[in-house]
Amino acid sequence: MINDKVSQKIVDIIQNYARKHSLWVLAYGTGCGAIEIPPTMTSRYDAERLGVRGAATPRQADVLLITGYLTTKTLKRVIRVYEQMQDPKYVIGFGSCTINGGMYFDSYNTIKALDRYLPVDVYINGCMPRPEAVLEGFAKLQELIQAGKADGSKKYKENLEWYRANQKEVIPVWRMPEFNW
Amino acid sequence: MEELKKKITQKITDHFADAAVKKYEGNRVDFTVKKETIPAILFFLKDEMGYNHLSHISCVDWLEEKEFELIYIVWSYTDHLKVFVHTRVDRENAVMDNIDMIWRQANTYEREIKEMYGIHFEGLEAPEEFLLEDWEDMPPMRRDFDTHAYARKTFWDRQEARSDAQDVRETITKRTGEEIPDVAKKYSR
Repeated sequence: MINDKVSQKIVDIIQNYARKHSLWVLAYGTGCGAIEIPPTMTSRYDAERLGVRGAATPRQADVLLITGYLTTKTLKRVIRVYEQMQDPKYVIGFGSCTINGGMYFDSYNTIKALDRYLPVDVYINGCMPRPEAVLEGFAKLQELIQAGKADGSKKYKENLEWYRANQKEVIPVWRMPEFNW
Repeated sequence: MEELKKKITQKITDHFADAAVKKYEGNRVDFTVKKETIPAILFFLKDEMGYNHLSHISCVDWLEEKEFELIYIVWSYTDHLKVFVHTRVDRENAVMDNIDMIWRQANTYEREIKEMYGIHFEGLEAPEEFLLEDWEDMPPMRRDFDTHAYARKTFWDRQEARSDAQDVRETITKRTGEEIPDVAKKYSR
């Protein structure tokens, strides 16, 4: 009879190994970032050799890839999408727009820092990042998953009040349910 | 082309006494009219002259003159010529005639202009919000709306500017003894 901690650890390692090799991506293609996804997925860069492939709906996806700026209007939809995804789930912020607003720093309706509204596991910088950078971002996410450090969704549940308060700061009229899971 | 342009100019100025002509190169003819004439001139262009495609309705904010300029662009498939009809609307009390009974697609442009510039179109169908959701501030495309200040106030930012993104012009001018021209001062951080 092996002790519980050790068996749990072995199960975790196997689980994480399986998870990191089947990342189903829901690409939320706002702005110009969506144009980098087809070359990443198709034969030249072929992201599927890392187990990265597209998913049709939020409920089937593991990774939410936010490619570009988010307006307050699209942020609502992204929050709905993120909360409908099932665990384990990860968020990749793609391009400088999600990091600090990028070229939309003075726009009246785009948010500047995505990690204030959703937990971001990996940021890929660049305007736009090339497919190599995208692949490196996925490789980094795989590393984090194997190490058990990609715990964005856990953080989101624990700090839900803080995230909600930030979201409601930019979305004054809240017409969505308080909890989606 | 020039003959055709002359013919159209002649026809419009015969029918509409207040139409002032503005000359441009290329396949375009420009008229400036009073805002009351707009439905009549557009209806005339569509019905009598075959300009039956509304390309765009554009809006310009002339802040210094306290006016909005509305530009209706129509196109003829037979003449291959654009007609621009300009008009000015008062900025304080911006009311304009609605033309979506002439072209149904004008509705989309008018709703957008209403939201972005705050021009009220009388009898506009579906006047609810279009692009902006739950917007309570001044219409954002007006020139006296300070987008940078609004963005700073509304959206949280990491920091004002990165340390390596500071303006280096002052340092350079100190070193070389040059002066920054006034034009450039306006844009320095």
